[in-house]
Amino acid sequence: MIRIENLEKVYKTEEVETTALNGINLHVKEGEFVSIMGPSGCGKSTLLNVMGLLDKPESGSYKFIDTELLTLNDRERSNFRKRNMGFVFQNFNLIDELTVFENIELPLIYNKIPTAERKKLVNEIIERMNIVNRSGHFPQQLSGGQQQRVAVARALVTKPKLVLADEPTGNLDSSHGNEVMELLCELNETGTTIVMVTHSSHDASFSNRIINLKDGHVISEKINKSRNEELI
Amino acid sequence: MFRLNLKIALRNLWRNRGITAINVGGLAIALAAFILVTMYFTYETSFDKSNPNYKNVYVVGVSYPEFKTNYIAAPFAKAIKQTYPEVESVGLIKEGSFELTIKNGKNTLFTKNILAVDYNAAKILNIQPENGLTKPSGEVERLNYLSKESMQTLFPDKKDNKPEMVGYGASNSGITVVVAGSIRSNEHSNFVFDGISLAAELGEHDNYDMNDYSIFLKLKPNVNVANLEKKITDLYRYELLKNNTSKKSTAELKAISTFLDPLSNLHLRPKAGNDMPYKTLIALSVLGFLILVIACINFTNLSIAQAANRAKEVGVKKVMGAYRSQLTLQFLTEIFIQCFVATILALILAELVLPYFNNLFQVGLSIWQVDSDLIWQLPLILSLITLIAGIYPAMVLSGFKPALVLKGNFSTSKQNSWLRNGLLVFQFCIAVVFIIGLLIINSQLKYMRSQDVGFNSSQVVYIKNLTLFNNPVKFGSVSFNPVRDRLLKIPGIKSATVASFIPGGQNGINSYEVNASKANIDFVNVDFDYFETLDIKLKEGRFFLNTFKTDTINSAIINESAVAKYSIKNPVGQTIRGCGIDYKIVGVIKDFKTQGFESIVQPTIYTIKDPCGSYKTQILLKIEENKMADALAALKAQWPQINPKDGEDFRYEFLDELYGKLFKKQEQLQSVFFAAALLTIFIAILGLFAFAKYITNGRIKEIAVRKILGASDVQIFKLINSSFFIMVLIANVISWPIAYILTKKWLETFAYRIDLPAMPFVSSALITILLTVITVSIQAKKAVKANPVDALKYE
Ligand SMILES: Nc1ncnc2c1ncn2[C@@H]1O[C@H](COP(=O)(O)OP(=O)(O)OP(=O)(O)O)[C@@H](O)[C@H]1O
Ligand SMILES: [Mg+2]
Repeated sequence: MIRIENLEKVYKTEEVETTALNGINLHVKEGEFVSIMGPSGCGKSTLLNVMGLLDKPESGSYKFIDTELLTLNDRERSNFRKRNMGFVFQNFNLIDELTVFENIELPLIYNKIPTAERKKLVNEIIERMNIVNRSGHFPQQLSGGQQQRVAVARALVTKPKLVLADEPTGNLDSSHGNEVMELLCELNETGTTIVMVTHSSHDASFSNRIINLKDGHVISEKINKSRNEELI
Repeated sequence: MFRLNLKIALRNLWRNRGITAINVGGLAIALAAFILVTMYFTYETSFDKSNPNYKNVYVVGVSYPEFKTNYIAAPFAKAIKQTYPEVESVGLIKEGSFELTIKNGKNTLFTKNILAVDYNAAKILNIQPENGLTKPSGEVERLNYLSKESMQTLFPDKKDNKPEMVGYGASNSGITVVVAGSIRSNEHSNFVFDGISLAAELGEHDNYDMNDYSIFLKLKPNVNVANLEKKITDLYRYELLKNNTSKKSTAELKAISTFLDPLSNLHLRPKAGNDMPYKTLIALSVLGFLILVIACINFTNLSIAQAANRAKEVGVKKVMGAYRSQLTLQFLTEIFIQCFVATILALILAELVLPYFNNLFQVGLSIWQVDSDLIWQLPLILSLITLIAGIYPAMVLSGFKPALVLKGNFSTSKQNSWLRNGLLVFQFCIAVVFIIGLLIINSQLKYMRSQDVGFNSSQVVYIKNLTLFNNPVKFGSVSFNPVRDRLLKIPGIKSATVASFIPGGQNGINSYEVNASKANIDFVNVDFDYFETLDIKLKEGRFFLNTFKTDTINSAIINESAVAKYSIKNPVGQTIRGCGIDYKIVGVIKDFKTQGFESIVQPTIYTIKDPCGSYKTQILLKIEENKMADALAALKAQWPQINPKDGEDFRYEFLDELYGKLFKKQEQLQSVFFAAALLTIFIAILGLFAFAKYITNGRIKEIAVRKILGASDVQIFKLINSSFFIMVLIANVISWPIAYILTKKWLETFAYRIDLPAMPFVSSALITILLTVITVSIQAKKAVKANPVDALKYE
């Protein structure tokens, strides 16, 4: 589904130029769960941002099914993103002024889903995430794990083809972290493609494939046998 | 989407309700000021606009070497009409030259201005009696109309609009006149009157020496005015030459020209006058606008300062596919809503302040009028401030890159700081200029109040009077001597005199000649005891004295300025020639400021006999202070015998109050500047208060860390204050030259003025720095007093 070729990204600041991505090649099949690992500063987040069309690389190609995404203009990128992608962040990034329900509702609004259907979709996902009795709460009133579940719900409510998760368990203890990982697995089983950045090999063990980055290069790739067997 | 955006906005505003209230409140105050100024501006610039001929009406003025005037000879009207086909019609008007008493039984009306107009002028100037404009014809020479209010005073029960008989002057005068009906006097016009005296034609028997009328032209559309102006000048010179009654030389005629002044100029910047009202109006508008800009800057500044709070929201929304334009619109809408609330509050405020405003500017503005221009101006103002205050923050906020802001440690404190600081400095610049301006206006006014004006107007009573006094008596006038004798018998009256003009009013101008040098100078026709009554100082020679027979024939007294003007050496005993008389100069007085402090004392000649002069009607009495009340009571009781023409209508004013009116404009300016300076500094401080609150909130963690590392409270106060202190200092340094130039310009409008003092500059710096330090410290105190452990735990 995703074909990334020779992707290069350079950050220019006044004093230094940092090459965050240095010729990345990456293919992701539909329905795959891919983990990206590597030392701090190797370009994992940058890669994810580029894949999520939040950042523009200097050169390379990024094909989604058959569409080349890097030549799109801002508006087309926005449109593509809201129809096809969902995001989960390490620091949740919920809007503090909106309730749980409203936070989850927001992407549907941007997708111009009618009110009645919106309500239905949000309620469905709230039930699935087991946060029904929290739907009127504000983010500050939830625990970290609950917040991340809301964030996942928000990423899923539009039924995106691709979910991008940047260290989704980074701010959570192991039990809350596991909850989130299980959610992602469930989601993957229903056919959603997932690309996740993580530092934890435990989390990575949930995925089909692990890609190792270093200094903006892909240095190794590992098929997760146990997980793939499990799949079969 | 709108619903959720609104929720986010409202919850955000509520969380920062202190700052929001300051922001919206400050804007409301500034807007109220701006609304008032806008209303006033609209009012002042639309005098006579309701006249359908507004765009085509011009007054014909005459430009002499020394001055310009709209007074011109009546026969010239006819000459213009006969010569130039592009002039559609020509009208004449003449202001009432004295106050008139009109009576109906016990009801008495004192009119100040009965306007004489001819039929054409009434048509051109849209002067419409209630029962229609008709041309006087046949037996009826004049049709007299009184304003509705005047009519009400005389005939309180009158319902119809039928003609009525009234008495003119004292009840024993026996003059009766028919009033043809009532007429609405439009206060919003250059022509306000208590009544109209309508004639078919005016000034038929006048000649070219009698410049008593104003000529109004209605031009056909698309006439080349500059061209016509030239042609009319030629015609005027030709007519003067043809009817040369005062024997002017061709060189003198060459120096005279005419000009056409459009009706739209008359109120604010007549060519025959000065454009001070116009300049004042512009200054006032700029003031109002600046105050509004300052309030908008508060908005911009705080919105940007708070941007960090909204950055995550922007990032998340963009991740979900929001367009930048959607977000821009969202933030603009938020600011619009706040501006809208501010506008409503501003209207309420303006309504509350309006009575004071009306009183100060002597106008009758009102907000709730159906035909008010505010109906279209307000939405315009609202959009304008939304754009000024909102466009920049909206662009900044909607421009955040999601990849950056969602990392979690995003901070805006470094970003745009030069802009925020720049805006803060700008605000304080304006405030400093206003404070300096105010202090300097105060100094000048104090100077004017304390300065010797060269005469003493206190305990001088000015009596309004209809009798024409002249000495020697000429046609229609009587001698003042018997009146003076009777007046001086009243206990307390120290001296009594009569003159053609009083200090504080305009003098007459005529041509006088000394040693073959000719010049137009001011003249005042006086009677004995004039200088003594006003306590004017003698420089050399003597005052007029009863004992000198020649004083009522050809004696003159001139002032120092006249001596200088003609550069006369040893003036006493020399001859000054005017109106066919060789006057002998018997005395020179010291200059005194009849025209206040703005214009330089004019060269002036004082004579008792003057065939070309004006009638002496202005009685002046010097009365002992402690016998004032008794003397006035006695005057009122005896007035019908002393002065039968006025009869029972004894009316007076105190000269010092009259003269004080010359200061009115400056006092008005002082009030306006006081309000403006107060407002700007208040709004700027409000903004600073909210801004400092925001900055210190953002630095709570830093302050906590510093305290743990051993910083003392004083060090932290210094830390927080220092950047604000520097900004205010910079603002002061920038504003000083601006304030210097502006106040210097203003002072130059005075002939008698203070030297530009340095103190206001220092004071303004002290005031603004003190206010800043106090404001910032109040905010800093919270951060300093907080327990550092709590602050860090909170994070
Ligand atoms: N906005 C930016 N400006 C300049 N350099 C940047 C920027 N963002 C990232 N970088 C640099 O690009 C490189 C890759 O950063 P990236 O955030 O992708 O690392 P990462 O692999 O996600 O690290 P971590 O595991 O710590 O999150 C780093 O060297 C970083 O310093
Ligand atoms: Mg990262």
